[in-house]
Amino acid sequence: MPDVAGGVRAPLLEVRGLRKHYGGTQALDGVDLSLQRGQVRALVGANGAGKSTLVKILAGLERPEGGEVLVEGRPAAISTPQDATALGLSFIHQELNLVPKFTALQNMALGYGQASRAGFLDRRAVRVRAEQVMSQLQADFPLDREVDRLTVSERWMVSLGRSLMRDARLIAMDEPTASFTDAEVDRLFSVIRDLAAREVGILYISHRLDEVLDIADEITVLRNGRLIGSWARGGLDRDRLTTEIVGAEVERLTAMPAVTSISHDVVLTLRGIERPPRVRGVDLEVRRGEILGIAGLVGSGRTELARVVFGADRPTAGTMLLGTSPYAPKGPYDAIRRGVALVPEERRSQGLLLQESITFNISMATLRDNRGAGHRLLSPGKARAAAREAVERFRIKSQSVSQLTGDLSGGNQQKVVVGRYLRTAPAVLILDEPTVGVDVGARGEIYRIIKGLAEAGTAVLMISSDFDELAICGRVAVMQEGRITTVIEAERATKEYLTQLCYALEGTG
Amino acid sequence: MTETTQAASRTGALPPEPAGRPSFDAWRFVGRYGALLVLLVLVVGVSIAEPETFPTKSNLINVLNQSALTAVIAIGLTFPLVAGEFDLSVGYTASLSGVVAAELLVQGLPLPVAFAAAMVAGAFVGLVNGLVITRLGVNALVATLGVGTIVVGMNYLIASGLPVTVPDPEPFLNLTLGKALGLPYPIYVMVAVGVLLWVLLNRTVSGQSMQAVGGNSVAARLSGIRVDRIRVLVFVVAGAAAAVTGVLLASRTGSAAVDGADGYLLSAFAACFFGSAVLRDGQFHVLGTLVGVVTVSVGFNAIALIGLGTYYQYLFQGLLLILGVGVSTVARRRALA
Repeated sequence: MPDVAGGVRAPLLEVRGLRKHYGGTQALDGVDLSLQRGQVRALVGANGAGKSTLVKILAGLERPEGGEVLVEGRPAAISTPQDATALGLSFIHQELNLVPKFTALQNMALGYGQASRAGFLDRRAVRVRAEQVMSQLQADFPLDREVDRLTVSERWMVSLGRSLMRDARLIAMDEPTASFTDAEVDRLFSVIRDLAAREVGILYISHRLDEVLDIADEITVLRNGRLIGSWARGGLDRDRLTTEIVGAEVERLTAMPAVTSISHDVVLTLRGIERPPRVRGVDLEVRRGEILGIAGLVGSGRTELARVVFGADRPTAGTMLLGTSPYAPKGPYDAIRRGVALVPEERRSQGLLLQESITFNISMATLRDNRGAGHRLLSPGKARAAAREAVERFRIKSQSVSQLTGDLSGGNQQKVVVGRYLRTAPAVLILDEPTVGVDVGARGEIYRIIKGLAEAGTAVLMISSDFDELAICGRVAVMQEGRITTVIEAERATKEYLTQLCYALEGTG
Repeated sequence: MTETTQAASRTGALPPEPAGRPSFDAWRFVGRYGALLVLLVLVVGVSIAEPETFPTKSNLINVLNQSALTAVIAIGLTFPLVAGEFDLSVGYTASLSGVVAAELLVQGLPLPVAFAAAMVAGAFVGLVNGLVITRLGVNALVATLGVGTIVVGMNYLIASGLPVTVPDPEPFLNLTLGKALGLPYPIYVMVAVGVLLWVLLNRTVSGQSMQAVGGNSVAARLSGIRVDRIRVLVFVVAGAAAAVTGVLLASRTGSAAVDGADGYLLSAFAACFFGSAVLRDGQFHVLGTLVGVVTVSVGFNAIALIGLGTYYQYLFQGLLLILGVGVSTVARRRALA
């Protein structure tokens, strides 16, 4: 393309002074970035550094509040995903957006609008093109296989293939290797080098620093929505990169004190728990009356681990103990009966019945407790009394217990879900990102509730990506690529140190 | 704790869920009470148009008697719908149960035994529906269509395609023609089934679990509800209720036709959907279904009394369904906006 600016070819993509904020947090604070044809640029940063926001703006999923995006030197207005596609920008998100029951070929044909003259999809042309793309990707699985029968990395290749069907000029990849084996990573890298050789620009987003150092021509670090800097290949090593991401002088990791646990107090024991691809051998002990935080990067397997402990998914290997007795729940029903509860990550889709009242939602896990005396029928009075008690105890702001939970604010919705599971009187309570989308006031109250529970003897496991809030924990476990790599005492669990541990090489802990 | 737990004041005569709204909202009112309003307008209108024949005690009994069979099968169908499922086999199941009961009576078994066996047959069809859906993972629409088709085949197999006529049908006929305290038995059956299933849905752990599964099955599972068991159960309830309707239908004439009750499928669905627009915001519930059935019966009765052709019944039923559900859907959307 002969777009010449001052004798130099304009970069494929240029981002200038991009700004965006959500609520009180500045997700992007004037970020600049450029990408040349055939360049592989890695984008790294801790949770909340602004990587996802940047990608979402480029993909047309979010609108920036300031700054501009230029594609080949021309200002580009990207207000919908279609705009992004038309500009040759392609995105492979962590959720692949494939149709599971469609074949690889059908998925690749989606959005590849090459119709014949009569308006029908030209199947032959599509197939020829798809085969061409797949051989370029060195993919060796049949194109006529349904996507739900493919492996994770094969699905990923289908997604990439779909981008290439339309001659993408830029491909952004978000955590592509999260569920890949080493061999699959190697193959992906050879594909990426091949694409770069064909002038495709690659934006590579990953938490895996070794892979980033291996594949990227240039590495850009973001922290708290700001651009920290860019380094060319060989310009920095792993330690330096970690320092830049964390934003503080890196503590020597060898000085880790071993945590000695008091065995008689252990309520929940996990030994070698596996559920591939995300959970890869977890050992952990949780004590009575403690708040144990689980820190980790997005995709490190924390939610998946919580689901295994709660019986929502079965482990493929490993054993669990509750106190000293074996624990292998067949489902959440078993887990709740044994005194384990999980407040799920997605409040609206996994937690609440938005069309039902506070009363209904509070009682859902404990319907049997609403039975009247001497018979098996439910007493609506008991259900309402329980709801009123929860509303009072957790200060749920509502007009009445009959109010639909869909009409409550995020914080109050979360309190309803917490109230539901607390009514099961759990010995172990797991909270998965309990304060996401919760306002500051309600946040403080949720912390107060959690502390009160621990004081009363409940073992609390708190998963959080907001490392500041892990301050309420007594100990913090760091999860990295499916394993608990370190457990540290609260006084050392600063945001910087935890971030550093999340990026630490395994085995240094 | 100030404004938090004021009990809702506006309860009145309308159960269940008292509305906790502070101010009057016209759209919300239409969304909740619009369908009831339709019934009210219909009753008042026909009473004025036909003062001699419509608003009489005997006609009221007649309307309720006409409603009974549809009501029983429709209240049963409400259960799969509450749980977010679908059952296309209820009509065929009702036919099967009629045939089973008649066949057993032909073979000389006592009426209670034949009735019970027919209900077991209906419940069994429901069980198969439930297992196909939960164990094989087949979509409810497809599963119940398939199972329903097999049921049709079994009807023909049992009856060789001919109506099964009960010899010495007096006690059998009496099931629908008999009266107590001036009211035909089917009205008692309708009330009994209605009360029983209302209690099941609203006052038992299983019933509340059904509503939870229908509202959000993921959240229900994570709340410790065994979702698959509940899914099976709703189909068993629907099958057993369909069986009651099937047996009563056969007893009207003393003989069971192989496809006798097939047509109840559509009226049952119409009643359930119209009923979902009654009182509750688009949720299926027993009382709503009952109101739906009665509204249709009142309409049919009026059409007969006014002397219009029976084909107007179809026009009426179709319009009623679309208006009832459509208006309340629009109203709810406005109320939320």
